[in-house]
Amino acid sequence: MSRVLSMLAKSCAAIIGLIIFAGSVAWAGEAPELASLVEQKKLPPLEDRLPKNPYVVDYKKEQKTIGKYGGEMRLLMGRAKDLGQITVYTYARLIGFTPGLEMKADILESIDVKNGREFTLKIREGHRWSDGKLFTSEDFRYYWEDMIGNEQLGRAGVPSTMRVEGEGPEFKVIDSLTIRYTWAKPNPAFLPALAGPSPLYIYRPAHYMKQFHAKYGDEEKLNEIAREAGSKDWSGIHTRKQRQRRPENPDLPTLQAWRNTTSPPSQRFVFERNPFYHRVDPDGNQLPYINKLIMSIASKGVIPAKTGAGESDLQARYLRFDNFTFLKEVEDDNNFNTYLWSTGKGSQVALFLNMNTNDPVWRGLMRDVRFRRALSLGIDREEINETIYFGLASPSANTVLPQSPLYRDEYAQAWAEYDVDTANQLLDDAGLGARDEDGIRLLPNGERAEITIESAGESTEESDVLELISDHWSNIGIKVFIRSSQRDIFRRRANAGETLISVFFGINAGLASSQLSPEELAPTAQPQLNWPKWGQYFETGGKAGEPVDLPEAAKQVERYNAWLIAESDEERTRIWHEMLHTYTDQVFSIGTVNNSRQPVVVSKKLQNVPEEGIYSWEPTAFFGVYRPDTFWFKK
Amino acid sequence: MSTPTKSTKLEHYVNPAPFDPQSIENMTPEQEAIFLASQKKLMWWKFKKHKVAVFCGGFLLFMYLAILISEILAPYALETRNSKFIYAPPKALHFVHDGEFVGPFVYKFKRSRDPRTLKRLYAEDTRKPYPIRFFCSGDKYKFWGFIKGDFHIVCPPEKKVSMFFFGADRLGRDVLSRMIYGSRISLTIGLLGISISFTLGIIIGGLAGYYGGWVDLVVQRIIEVVQSLPTIPLWLALAAIMPVTWSPIVVYFGITIILGLVDWTGLARAVRSKLLSLREEDYVLAARLMGASPKRIIGLHLVPGFMSHLIASATITIPTMILGETALSFLGLGLRSPIVSWGVLLNEAQNINVVALYPWLMLPVLPVILIILAFNFFGDGLRDAADPYG
Repeated sequence: MSRVLSMLAKSCAAIIGLIIFAGSVAWAGEAPELASLVEQKKLPPLEDRLPKNPYVVDYKKEQKTIGKYGGEMRLLMGRAKDLGQITVYTYARLIGFTPGLEMKADILESIDVKNGREFTLKIREGHRWSDGKLFTSEDFRYYWEDMIGNEQLGRAGVPSTMRVEGEGPEFKVIDSLTIRYTWAKPNPAFLPALAGPSPLYIYRPAHYMKQFHAKYGDEEKLNEIAREAGSKDWSGIHTRKQRQRRPENPDLPTLQAWRNTTSPPSQRFVFERNPFYHRVDPDGNQLPYINKLIMSIASKGVIPAKTGAGESDLQARYLRFDNFTFLKEVEDDNNFNTYLWSTGKGSQVALFLNMNTNDPVWRGLMRDVRFRRALSLGIDREEINETIYFGLASPSANTVLPQSPLYRDEYAQAWAEYDVDTANQLLDDAGLGARDEDGIRLLPNGERAEITIESAGESTEESDVLELISDHWSNIGIKVFIRSSQRDIFRRRANAGETLISVFFGINAGLASSQLSPEELAPTAQPQLNWPKWGQYFETGGKAGEPVDLPEAAKQVERYNAWLIAESDEERTRIWHEMLHTYTDQVFSIGTVNNSRQPVVVSKKLQNVPEEGIYSWEPTAFFGVYRPDTFWFKK
Repeated sequence: MSTPTKSTKLEHYVNPAPFDPQSIENMTPEQEAIFLASQKKLMWWKFKKHKVAVFCGGFLLFMYLAILISEILAPYALETRNSKFIYAPPKALHFVHDGEFVGPFVYKFKRSRDPRTLKRLYAEDTRKPYPIRFFCSGDKYKFWGFIKGDFHIVCPPEKKVSMFFFGADRLGRDVLSRMIYGSRISLTIGLLGISISFTLGIIIGGLAGYYGGWVDLVVQRIIEVVQSLPTIPLWLALAAIMPVTWSPIVVYFGITIILGLVDWTGLARAVRSKLLSLREEDYVLAARLMGASPKRIIGLHLVPGFMSHLIASATITIPTMILGETALSFLGLGLRSPIVSWGVLLNEAQNINVVALYPWLMLPVLPVILIILAFNFFGDGLRDAADPYG
């Protein structure tokens, strides 16, 4: 009897305690693991860990349900470098996109833009890094003054999205929570860059990084440590320790929902919950719900098989459309759902004719619009669609998708029908009229028109499409060789001008609106496979690469620059249309089909994952905008 | 003749038959045939007793004859593609329709798609039989790359009615036809490779064995180095050297040379050790005293002495070559399409979709296994036969 009484008393006390606790703070929910740490005084209580004004996710609008804490989410990746994907998936940004693709301050409390050139950033009061230290304007100052402003660390200069006509911003710390960047002219690239899947990180955990910085430590000693670790001087160590995109350093404080606890090299990376994360659900429960992310590295080829065996709770990377049938057949046995999300790519598989190739004869042809158009006309996109995409995709040039507000039929259809006669005529006109006894055209220098198409060797989807294309092109007298290598070599060869044609996926901005940067349509970056050297020239401000010497491409750069300083949305839209028109009419890259589907495998226990979504790098950051921190496991 | 008794004197007897002093050594005609038979004949007799080897020999002979006329044997041309039959499963051959014997025929496929899994489904439409055509004109081809033709031994009934006995691949191509075409490359690569390694092995091993001394020493060390290199990485390295712009047929020869260059060492060792023992024989000494050149001694007196052994070991090496090509191509480093070999076909089949949904694409494994087994049994029989007195 007395035992029952004491139990009753205990539970009453517990209930009263809970009520008092709930009454004293607004934010009540936290993971049981963290609660017990708080009890042991190893962690400050929840109200001290959350910012004063946390980010409340709008569950009504995003159609989510309040979750339960716990569980481990398993993910499969193909290589250690994919560690960077976790930062894409978790997607906590200074300012970020919501699932409705609106931009909203996320880590920041607010961001105030005046005349498109003055950006005032306001940090949430009491926002803390994953190690419990406060996140303040000092972290921004450290990046701007001690990294960009430092001779050794800032060698690459001010990032291109922070330059307007070559000029960087004026940086000002207003108080411990407010910072301001001011440019002389508007910089529309700034906010999209902060919200990007691989964003511009303009802050660093200063309290942690200072120990590696010569300004705050003993330079001699740091250099010595650096040399022992195989770097030239302290800047090497600093660079390695501060990596934000690829969280290789388990000690580096983060603002993301989970932090890496495993140092590479490893086949299995464990991410643990960040107890100081700044987002909560509408009931005041701190996110994320899931305790741990387990990222395992497996060979790319076996990832579909492993996924089919139920070894991943959330998987889309390395799954191809043709795995769908297999996944669907085994989904009930292994307790997962297979959804088909749309992809935001401008083309599922696109060909990039390298206009900076070293061979002068080929270079001349690549820059000849008739040649590019002829190759595009020589592809039977209907057959590709039917054979490889079950007829569910749509034949199109490499351009925006019909879901984009910028879409026009003329872009998708530009030089995209299968028209062998016109193609042959164009090739004859381009100086390839002569043919040898096998029916293969001869180049102006008498060599056979044999083109090697190089691929990064990552998907058999590409090689299947190439096989069909090489068949189609044999009808227009072009012989194709296919060479597959490996992503890094593939890029290096293209950059060096050794590649004739590269195969890759089409533009990422398939769902673009006028606010998104049209940078992919103009030579603005070295990774652009059709004009790597021109892109490099733009990127480095003329220090490396080659100046654009094709009038149409140069015009694209002008338009891009005009977009950057455009003041109204109408103007930006107009520029986008001009650029899309030129890009597709000039066939700067050759698209095949787009609007294909991406299989997304989701464990049946995993909640809050939408059945339909957009799986693309930009703007959705793959799963990022759908907020994996709100996903939870039903028991 | 009665047994002599004590009382009777031994009767005088003279055998009327003429005296033959060699009667003991005389043989029956059968024995004589064996005694007088040439070594070849003896080997043949011995070989014939190994029933499995004979059967395998016949199978190999059939396969090698078949590759001469791949174009005619294959019901479809190599690159015939039909997007209406993507991943069509193997089709059954029927003889009886509605209880009536019609002869070999197939039914048409009804295509549909599983709305849930999007899988292409093919069902037989048993309303009407489509008899297969024999000795017919079908897909056009260039016989051995030169002579245009369209004659086939079997053809599909109509263009719209498929006849994929081994199913179709992801582009709607007939797996059986591709296997038949693939055999041409896969089977000959072994022969070509072996001839290279044979030549190298006999010359290098012969020199080492005949001369001994420092020549032997150097050769032995080289062999050790070559043998100590792991073969797969070595193949990979050599295969990677070949430029992509080489036409597939040149790559094919490149691969045979690579396989031959790596494989000669074992044979060279065998030749050397045989020669080391044989060169001490009296007949070699005699030949040398008579002033024969080393070339003549090795070529005319020594090598024939163990030729049979060489042939047997060659037969056992061919499968290694075939497997080598298959392995290289399977890894995507050997031959590549449009050249078709069994390895290339298997390379295309290495993913989970095939294993789970379209297992018939792995059928090219079958001929690889059969050929390797056949060569091994055949070689086994040859080796037994090569030593007919043993």
